[in-house]
Amino acid sequence: MKPDFDKILRPADTARIESAIRHGATRRELLGMLLAGGMGAAMAGTVLGSATKAYADTPKKGGSIRAAGYSSGTTDTLDPAKQSLSTDYVRCTSFYNGLTSLDDKLSPQMDLAESFDTKDSVTWTVKLRKGVTFHDGSTFGPDDVVYSLNRHKDPAVGSKAKSLADQIGEVKKSGDNEVTIVLTGPNADLPVILGTFHFLIVKAGTTDFTTANGTGAFKCKEFQPGVHSVAVRNENYWKGTGPYLDQVEFFAIADENARVNALLSGDVALIGSVNPRSTQLIKQAGSFDLLTTTAGNYTDLNMRLDTAPGSDPNFVEAIKLLLDREQIKTAIYRGYAEVANDQPVPPTNRFYNADLPQRPYDPDKAKSLLAKSSLAGTRIPVVASTAADQSIDMAVLLQQSAAQIGLDLDIQKVPADGYWSNYWLKAPICFGNINPRPTADILFSLLYTSNAPWNESHWKSERFDKILVEARKERDDAKRKEMYGELQKMAHEESGVAIPVFISNIDAHSSKLKGLKPMATGGMMGFAFSENVWLEG
Amino acid sequence: MTKHTDTIPETRRRMLGAGSLTISVVGAMCFCIILFWVVIALIGPWLAPYPIGKIVSMDVFTSPSRDYLLGTDYLGRDMMSRIILGARYTVGVSIAAAFIACTIGVALGMISAVLGGWFDTIVSRGIDALIAIPHLMFGLVIIAAIGSSLPVLVGTLAFLYFPGSFRIARALAVNINELDFVQVAKARGEGFFYTVREEILPNMIGPVLADFGLRFVFIVLLLSGLSFLGLGVQPPNADWGALVRENVSGLAYGAPAVIMPSLAIASLTISVNLAIDNLPRRLRDRLP
Amino acid sequence: MITRMILTRLGVAVLTLLIVSVVVFVATNMLPGDVAQIVLGQAATPEAVAGLRKAMHLDQPAVFRYIIWLGGMMTGNPGTSLVNDIPIVTLIGGRLHNTLLLAGVTAAFSVPIALALGITAAMWRNTLYDRLVSFATIAVVSVPEFMVATIAVLIFAVRLHWFPALSFANDVHSLGELLRVFAMPVISLSFVVSAQMIRMTRAALIDTLGQPFVEMATLKGAGRVRAVLTHALPNAIGPIVNAVALSLSYLLGGVIIVETIFNYPGIAKLMVDGVATRDMPLIQTCAMIFCLGYLALVTVADICAILANPRLRYK
Repeated sequence: MKPDFDKILRPADTARIESAIRHGATRRELLGMLLAGGMGAAMAGTVLGSATKAYADTPKKGGSIRAAGYSSGTTDTLDPAKQSLSTDYVRCTSFYNGLTSLDDKLSPQMDLAESFDTKDSVTWTVKLRKGVTFHDGSTFGPDDVVYSLNRHKDPAVGSKAKSLADQIGEVKKSGDNEVTIVLTGPNADLPVILGTFHFLIVKAGTTDFTTANGTGAFKCKEFQPGVHSVAVRNENYWKGTGPYLDQVEFFAIADENARVNALLSGDVALIGSVNPRSTQLIKQAGSFDLLTTTAGNYTDLNMRLDTAPGSDPNFVEAIKLLLDREQIKTAIYRGYAEVANDQPVPPTNRFYNADLPQRPYDPDKAKSLLAKSSLAGTRIPVVASTAADQSIDMAVLLQQSAAQIGLDLDIQKVPADGYWSNYWLKAPICFGNINPRPTADILFSLLYTSNAPWNESHWKSERFDKILVEARKERDDAKRKEMYGELQKMAHEESGVAIPVFISNIDAHSSKLKGLKPMATGGMMGFAFSENVWLEG
Repeated sequence: MTKHTDTIPETRRRMLGAGSLTISVVGAMCFCIILFWVVIALIGPWLAPYPIGKIVSMDVFTSPSRDYLLGTDYLGRDMMSRIILGARYTVGVSIAAAFIACTIGVALGMISAVLGGWFDTIVSRGIDALIAIPHLMFGLVIIAAIGSSLPVLVGTLAFLYFPGSFRIARALAVNINELDFVQVAKARGEGFFYTVREEILPNMIGPVLADFGLRFVFIVLLLSGLSFLGLGVQPPNADWGALVRENVSGLAYGAPAVIMPSLAIASLTISVNLAIDNLPRRLRDRLP
Repeated sequence: MITRMILTRLGVAVLTLLIVSVVVFVATNMLPGDVAQIVLGQAATPEAVAGLRKAMHLDQPAVFRYIIWLGGMMTGNPGTSLVNDIPIVTLIGGRLHNTLLLAGVTAAFSVPIALALGITAAMWRNTLYDRLVSFATIAVVSVPEFMVATIAVLIFAVRLHWFPALSFANDVHSLGELLRVFAMPVISLSFVVSAQMIRMTRAALIDTLGQPFVEMATLKGAGRVRAVLTHALPNAIGPIVNAVALSLSYLLGGVIIVETIFNYPGIAKLMVDGVATRDMPLIQTCAMIFCLGYLALVTVADICAILANPRLRYK
């Protein structure tokens, strides 16, 4: 959005004109200024045209908004390590910074770090940014990084990123503005991992998270778990640009209808996660825009391979063929989804394997496979829950397809309450819901390796594990792409996880709210909208 | 009232008189509607034009058309089939649960009121403690402990609503218990159960039936809440309340998918309550 | 007699609360999963769960933790929330105020209207007016609460912009703002709670009107209004106040839907959160509040019933 006429005008002129436009100078006054600067009249007119247009899209300072997410409760936290809901991500990204942050292609950009250096992907030297202060006025330094990273490894903290952090062997201060991180094994993706939400940097020694003391664009004025938070502009923010808004009040409205109505009535300026069925209503209302993000989260069908009926490969393949992905995309998601291919790496990822043939909807083939499996005629339970987004509707569609070939699926709807600890990973056939992860490595090591904590289908493949470790070490991207491509193929063919579609997240906002764009890290601009948006008019 | 119906004083007759003919008309209409839904509930599977879970149309929240008389739902399923097949849950489960809740509540309430003393205190305070347990938590505990099935659903609904019925019945019975004719009956040496059955119950049957009607409404509504948790009705089946809930995003579009099941609920609950209001007095008195 | 009853009730109330807390404790423990598992959610690896359990002192026996909580409660300290380490008192404080405010306004609005409708319907029994009241009452209560609230928001907030779609309790500084912010939640809740009061008032009055002593009064020439107000009403007070108490008790713990749709931070949502995260001290304290509110309401109802009925009063 930066005006591109800097080349024509001297910086001083740009600043003067920009300031004049902001203060409401008329066109005649501006022309006068340009002409006085020695520019020809025709040229001045052109420049001015593009200038006013560009400045119309140029961030404006000031104003405050109310924004509503979709999940909130007493678990709401300002502790980056414990974040679990989108609401936490929104708050923490506005109060804290990470060493790196992830851009729209999931590549790491330097934030509190100035550089990451390594020779072997095991020992990393991280240079830190100078002159950054926390909200309480103290200076940011290596001790804060050491403290923030080590916290995750302490089980008593209850960090959500513990399994990721366990690969960090040691973090130590190695200079006034430098830390050294030694990993337990090589991982070329460290700068990406440290750009994820849970690794935001807190002040060394912080144990009380009733308020937030970070380096972020906003200061925490008020925070009540399950109620709301009020963030006010950090005047000393180390990034010169933002934030533009004076204040952001954030809370969650769990009911989707109520959320949309709150937007339409003008009570809030931005809402997260809109049902595709509400998009028409929002468009009709006129003064609202939609923000669609396909980040790679999915609801998947898990068939345990170590127990009946998933222990029969014919059955697993038959079920995968029975998923009518196009129908799921259109009927359930109203088109706001992308057909997936039973492997977790989304097309936005640079290691996505585009050559893998798409598994079709093929009831006939499923029927012949099923005939071999001796399962036809039995009633097979499928566990679904509102906890796994849209899984009940998916189960109903699958049940219909299965009925056509004589397979009787018994949908067991179970409470969302306690679903993840009681049914997921336990029931022979159930649904899961996976949030996007920044790297193929994280996806596979969390979900697919033999010892993965969330090995959804209890799939064990030594070859898979081996290739993954090699890919992690490999620093040649072409070779990595090949390796990850092979892993995707294996997951697609052998695992008991069926991934029908990648779900698009839809947010909606007042047209006056500018600066929003989709980010691969999640909805609401990777949950980090506060710092990047401004109010128009 | 058994002993007094024959001598209804002039005023009473005047109060009743004006509309005594229309009473039966309204009552009959209500009975017809209830009967209609009961029949639908029984023969639903043979009536529904489409399978309940089948997506029949690419368009969602459509208006009524020749193919889909009540439009389509949020996934494009036929709404008419879903309402017809949902009837058995809403009608069957709710009537059963309301009946059980009121029978237990009223019986306990009367016994407590007549016996009084420690029995009354223990039962009353015990039931107070029951009411204090949140419905949601109770539903979750039931699913965790017993699992989910239709009998469990009926039992849970009855259990959650009998305490209210008890309080009302007890309050009614306490008042009646003090009236002369009951005291006379007791003095006459009538047995405990005779007194309860012949003297107390007939004299409180009006409010008890009114309470039954209301409890029925509450149960119809709570049913959808519990099936949302996963207790009882399993997809693709859905009770009417659940149909309203799952299609509520069609409200802004005025979709029949959300309005029709609401109307179905209202027609049933209003009929039950107005039918109770319009029960012929004599029939009411002999009901027990 | 009343004084003795109140004293007995107070004693029994303490006992009831104790029973409720035991029942809630047992129920909480019957729910699958514990707070460590739930808080970690999908990130609950066995090692992480074990570590967090230790940090939350969940490795001690549940009964032991319950007794600790009970001991704290006796001294007026309900403890701290397991999931966020905030004292329960702080968590509940503002929300309890919000809940009581909403319940109070709703009660002040709905009880008089409901009683008036019930009494007049009984007076003019079986007239068109009575039928209309009955029909409307059931129609209104038959519509699921979330639908009433959503329709209200669609019309009055989205279309007409008369009221805000969300009810921010902090925005209330004057009576005008109170009315604006509370209008829709109060109306939605009134729809739910009024039905029982209207129907029971009508039914109880009509039944009492049939009693011999009221019939005697009417025979002696008392008018319809007089018969209802001075003869039937006192005798029907028992069931009526009980219906009122039952309806109002709903306003404490049952308003979860209204709290959710209007984003009104009350105590019902807190309880739901507590159950969802198995946060024992929070669940227990909320349950105590609901139970206490309920007991207070029914005790007042029972007292009213006794005071109103001469035969019970002098017993």
